Amino acid sequence: MADQSFDVVVIGGGPGGYVCAIKAAQLGLKTACVEKDATLGGTCVNVGCIPSKALLQSSHLFEEAGHGLAQHGIKVAAPGLDLAAMLARKDKVVQQSTAGIDFLFKKNKVTRIQGTGRIVKAGEVEVTAADGAKSKVTAKHIVIATGSEVTPLPNVAIDEKKIVSSTGALALPQVPKSMVVVGAGVIGLELGSVWRRLGAEVTVIEFLDRILPGMDGEVAKQMQRTLTRQGMKFRLSAKVTGAKSGASGVALSVEPVNGGAAEEVKADIVLVAIGRRPYTNGLGLKEAGIAIDNRGRVVTDGHFATSVSGIWAIGDVIEGPMLAHKSEHEGVACAELIAGQKPVVNHDVIPGVVYTWPEVAAVGRTEEELKAAGIAYKAGKFPFSANGRARANADAEGFVKVLADARTDRLLGAHVVGPMAGELIHEFAMGMVFGASSEDIGRICHAHPTLAEAVKEASLMVTGRQVNL
Amino acid sequence: MPEIRTKVLIIGGGPGGYVTAIRLGQLGIATMLVERAWLGGTCLNVGCIPSKALIHAAEAFEQAVHQAGTDRYGIRVERPSIDFGRTMEWKDGIVGRLKGGVAALLKKHGVKTLAGHATMLDGKTARVESDTGPQVIKAEHVVLATGSVPAPLTALPFGGRVISSSEALSLSDVPQRLVVVGAGYIGLELGTAFAKLGSKVTVVEAEDRILPAYDTELTRPVARRLGALGVEMLAATRARGLSPDGEALVVEFAGGTERRLPADKILVAIGRRPCTEGLGLDQLDLGMDGAFIRIDERCATSMRNVWAIGDLTGEPMLAHRAMAQGEMVAEIIAGQRRAFDKVAIPAICFTDPEVVTVGLSPEKARKAGHEIRVASFPFQANGRALTLGAEEGFVRVTARADNHLILGIDAVGQGIAELSAAFGLALEMGARLEDIAGTIHAHPTLGEAFHEASLRTLGEALHI
Repeated sequence: MADQSFDVVVIGGGPGGYVCAIKAAQLGLKTACVEKDATLGGTCVNVGCIPSKALLQSSHLFEEAGHGLAQHGIKVAAPGLDLAAMLARKDKVVQQSTAGIDFLFKKNKVTRIQGTGRIVKAGEVEVTAADGAKSKVTAKHIVIATGSEVTPLPNVAIDEKKIVSSTGALALPQVPKSMVVVGAGVIGLELGSVWRRLGAEVTVIEFLDRILPGMDGEVAKQMQRTLTRQGMKFRLSAKVTGAKSGASGVALSVEPVNGGAAEEVKADIVLVAIGRRPYTNGLGLKEAGIAIDNRGRVVTDGHFATSVSGIWAIGDVIEGPMLAHKSEHEGVACAELIAGQKPVVNHDVIPGVVYTWPEVAAVGRTEEELKAAGIAYKAGKFPFSANGRARANADAEGFVKVLADARTDRLLGAHVVGPMAGELIHEFAMGMVFGASSEDIGRICHAHPTLAEAVKEASLMVTGRQVNL
Repeated sequence: MPEIRTKVLIIGGGPGGYVTAIRLGQLGIATMLVERAWLGGTCLNVGCIPSKALIHAAEAFEQAVHQAGTDRYGIRVERPSIDFGRTMEWKDGIVGRLKGGVAALLKKHGVKTLAGHATMLDGKTARVESDTGPQVIKAEHVVLATGSVPAPLTALPFGGRVISSSEALSLSDVPQRLVVVGAGYIGLELGTAFAKLGSKVTVVEAEDRILPAYDTELTRPVARRLGALGVEMLAATRARGLSPDGEALVVEFAGGTERRLPADKILVAIGRRPCTEGLGLDQLDLGMDGAFIRIDERCATSMRNVWAIGDLTGEPMLAHRAMAQGEMVAEIIAGQRRAFDKVAIPAICFTDPEVVTVGLSPEKARKAGHEIRVASFPFQANGRALTLGAEEGFVRVTARADNHLILGIDAVGQGIAELSAAFGLALEMGARLEDIAGTIHAHPTLGEAFHEASLRTLGEALHI
């Protein structure tokens, strides 16, 4: 490839990178995006959010067909599973999504460069194509958007066959009889749910004494109860210290964190889902003099500028929650900054969703965080069992919990366990962006019958004014 | 005759009435609620709640039928069958539990309830025919909340195979041939549910299209889906009456030709009218607005301390409007200064796909004299919709051209009813397009389509 020069070159074509590139191009900057994989969309679209949600939907429908219909008076024999068709549908959704980004690049005239990017110095990126050919790309601005990768577990080597990461867990050729998930975070619980619904016996091993670390404690407790009732097993305060992979599966050695004898736990498949870490291998950060912190994250000034002028960083490689939508907003803001605008990303209001059944969603602070910060708050909590639409949908598990400042009533956080939690959380997110009080939400006319009425009722409960409980 | 005295008398125990009563109870005001049929009113007993249960069951059944054919999800099932009696039992169970819940809430808040039919004798006194005989109730404040009833069609009176939505929700069998008169949201919600449950459904509508209250851009996906479900749509067609043998509905097309539509059930769903019969309105001489009771922004009628809320007071006849009015009236009676100034009262059609409208449609905004910007974002380009297999539909945002203040948000799509709350909040908070653009929406969610539609209205779309 001939040497090329641009206003902006973005390294990484995930949600942060591709959105940044599109926005930069829309702002009139000559833009290129370097992506090492054959398809755009990064982890999220190819081996993350999108395929996992496709499988979560399919496996949910499978479970509904098997167990959910009788109560409605619908009689159907136990369903059969065509896993290959289910995976093919997932692949099709992924393919549609990546093709969509290709289209957006063409439409917005973003130059796509396939290969692995390495920052030589400010203004210069070297791209190594799959065949090893190297080329030079120059740009006034370089945006690092290389994302994150699966954090490995010492002594448990991922082979993507028996010991898999989330990537392998999205493409198992058959439903395992037994599966151990190491890590009770979002990814572990979502993918564990998929395979449990399809018939696997799933055990989740977690180092901490609770699931969903970082989320509200009450939410975590409720979800542990719910998932346990669905058949998922939990071993908390336990660490996996080694793995032996053989013909009959994997044998893990598991030790109690608080001391005690090691034990062997066997499974056909082991999913390692203990977290993700910034992906900067071979990016040339050190040589280019770009500062990183003690967790390997690129240090920025809070406005995406790295320690080297003309080099920016967004998304999972920098501080903050590793979420696609956070990256996207940072991508837009970074492009606007480069174009001379003055955007702000509100990092205090970033919703997060867990696509288990029921779903979990949260925005703002947890009760534990408020306590630790010494902020006086009031809470309102309304159960979906008292909500008409949840009842009518035969899906009434969970609650809406609102946390508001005890003195000003300003919304500080919201936590939803329940059907469509991932959609309901946006009213809170928007409310928090606007600096709304719980009373503001409580006084808004919410349509009947909707699940969102539980949002209103929980908000009213903060001041003891709930109507339907 | 025994006479009861109370501070507030509420007539009607539907969503408007019972919410007023609970709020009054919370405010420590002695309240009596009179209900002649069921607590929870139309909404809970023969409206919103049972219809949503039926719609949900029908949707689940259709999904299973679909899976028994060619299923894209890789789930193989035998053709399912439905035990409709069991479905109805399930629905009745939900209604029963919620009704019990309302009774318990009223009790918890110290509201006295009386079962019976109330007739106003004057602005402070009502006579109630209860099981234990007639009683007279005197109150300082009266709240009229008697709601509405299905409007009959003169040429096709209710009875026999001609039914209203109330009876349609408690049929013992799935009718083989169902004719629905009226393609408004009630007719289409129930028609769609029965089509999914196996009825051969024909919808007759006098106007030239379905959901005449909505613009065609919004209703097109619903029309397409009705077609796919095999529902026959006869627009610009009038119901003439039953055939002489009583087994068919005779309809007349625009050109004057007639057709006979044999039907096991004929559901008349042409609208609802206020329920004022026997209420003794002639004794009060209240100011009226057509058939509705005229109210001001405080829900005050023309008579001091006589209040009216809900369907009795006109459109939109929506449970959540009645509830919001009820909360307000309770607070006004308690001495608070309140007025009904909602910018947004969302309306939802639980059709397939669902339709949500909040605020002004582009057409209404233009008529109101606004210079507007409008754009929509299709679910086809939304990741969550793709994973759910729900690509049909879009979110549409209407904003003022000059300052980008959002005037209206509409959407059509599968499972999008729940987006209505964020739409309502945006309008109530006076959001501009930039405010929505700057709010981080979770990925992958359907809500991102609202974010993108706002961006597109600004001319800054990223994903299309």
